[in-house]
Amino acid sequence: MILVPVTYKGGIYRHDEIIDLIEDLGGYIIQKHLIAQEVVLQALVPKEDIDLIRRVGKPLTGEITSSPLVGTEIAVVTPSLEIHHLPHASCDVAEYIRRFGAKTNMVGLARGFGKRIAQMNDEERDVINEHDLAVFLLGDFESCIERKFPVLRRGINVPIVLCGGPDTEALKALIDPPVDGYVGGVGRFMHRTKESEEISKMDEVVDEVTRVLDKKREEMGKDPLSISPARLMNIISEKIDEVHEVLSPTPITVQMAGLRVKLPHDSFGSRIRNTEVDEGITIGDLAEVLPSRMRDYILVRIRPFSETNQIV
Amino acid sequence: MEAVEYFEVECPEKTGGDYYRRIADVVLLDHNLIRVIWKLHIFIDPRVPIFIAAGITRKIPGIVTIRDFSDVNIKDRKVTISIGDETYLAPLLQILWERFGKERVEQPDRFTILLNLDEAEAQGLPDLPVYDPSEALYKDLIYALQVIQPEGFKVRRQYYGNGRFYLVASEDTLPEDIEEMVREKFALMGETL
Repeated sequence: MILVPVTYKGGIYRHDEIIDLIEDLGGYIIQKHLIAQEVVLQALVPKEDIDLIRRVGKPLTGEITSSPLVGTEIAVVTPSLEIHHLPHASCDVAEYIRRFGAKTNMVGLARGFGKRIAQMNDEERDVINEHDLAVFLLGDFESCIERKFPVLRRGINVPIVLCGGPDTEALKALIDPPVDGYVGGVGRFMHRTKESEEISKMDEVVDEVTRVLDKKREEMGKDPLSISPARLMNIISEKIDEVHEVLSPTPITVQMAGLRVKLPHDSFGSRIRNTEVDEGITIGDLAEVLPSRMRDYILVRIRPFSETNQIV
Repeated sequence: MEAVEYFEVECPEKTGGDYYRRIADVVLLDHNLIRVIWKLHIFIDPRVPIFIAAGITRKIPGIVTIRDFSDVNIKDRKVTISIGDETYLAPLLQILWERFGKERVEQPDRFTILLNLDEAEAQGLPDLPVYDPSEALYKDLIYALQVIQPEGFKVRRQYYGNGRFYLVASEDTLPEDIEEMVREKFALMGETL
């Protein structure tokens, strides 16, 4: 069964039927938003059942669209969170990627500004490495990007998509060794992206992110995970009641190869590790349960089949 | 930027320069400074790195005195100030409190201030300067230029006087001949510093 990421938008009336249907078909609800009279579901559903969900949703004015980034967590990294980068450029990109289902976190570096003086500390590096992909938003000058990017990428082992003012070809020529993706023409700007030309630039960023993540998925497919992150999310939310008391919009954030559980590691780490997935198999057998560098959260890294020799 | 008579961005990297032209345009528009600036020349060299913004403002209104926005009525020791425009009320009160003390400044309603002053004190009161628009303008201008400049240029020098202003910034120590460079930029606009 192949699960595909989709977004369902529809009225709030009888939306629980859609949720039940997706769960009965073997799919997973990643996130549910209730906005006034509308409900937005981000879900992983079996590919062959999309038409069925569409048929059931039609009388409820529901529509289903493909969102390639559902179930991923992406870091949008800017040299700082000052007025030079905010709200435009960084927020516009973060928000636009979010529309395609990704969970984006903005990472503003404490000392990332300037050319010669740019730095990144270990906490920032570790936080970025907890994501599936990092989008770096740099400035308009080639000479600055060339000089400061090697400092900012040091120690980052997740795929990087680099955005900057110079065009894509120029960026490719500047960066050595190459990164996974490039989008030119998205540098520093101080106005809102609302013209069609600018929106298409944002689409380019999303396309590049999707392309890089598809490639990563393909590679992960060669050595599949011991358990699907979405299934693990369901198990944790069923067995650990305290998760439902967390006020974050996503108490459990699904990543491509793991989860971020927004509970303190000190008090819940061992409980999660010992939670049973199947008869005799605990989460600790299939995944590493680590303290996250983001607040006191828990990071669950699912091990691949080659390490555990079991798939649940 | 039609209101600005001269506006140039000089940069060895063409694409970067074009982006900064747009940035400067948007920032000045957002800060309502387009109508104030008459000429502006921006020079950025990211290789050094250095940022120079030099320009000339249009004629700005002079210092606001009490007479400009209120009526002053002096009768014996009793001075009545009737406020016409509330905009300058807060700075005026600050000045009066400082000069005469809070106990001698009475404000029975929003638009009236009563003072108990002797003749010497009341003399020249209508011409008391309350607010200098160029000071606020200077702060706004420098703030806007700091927003335009590339981020991280923490070493700065700024100047405003006689309708001319400049801001130079870098992340390294500024070169010694910086004033000479600024003069050159003014010369490009056909002006002198």
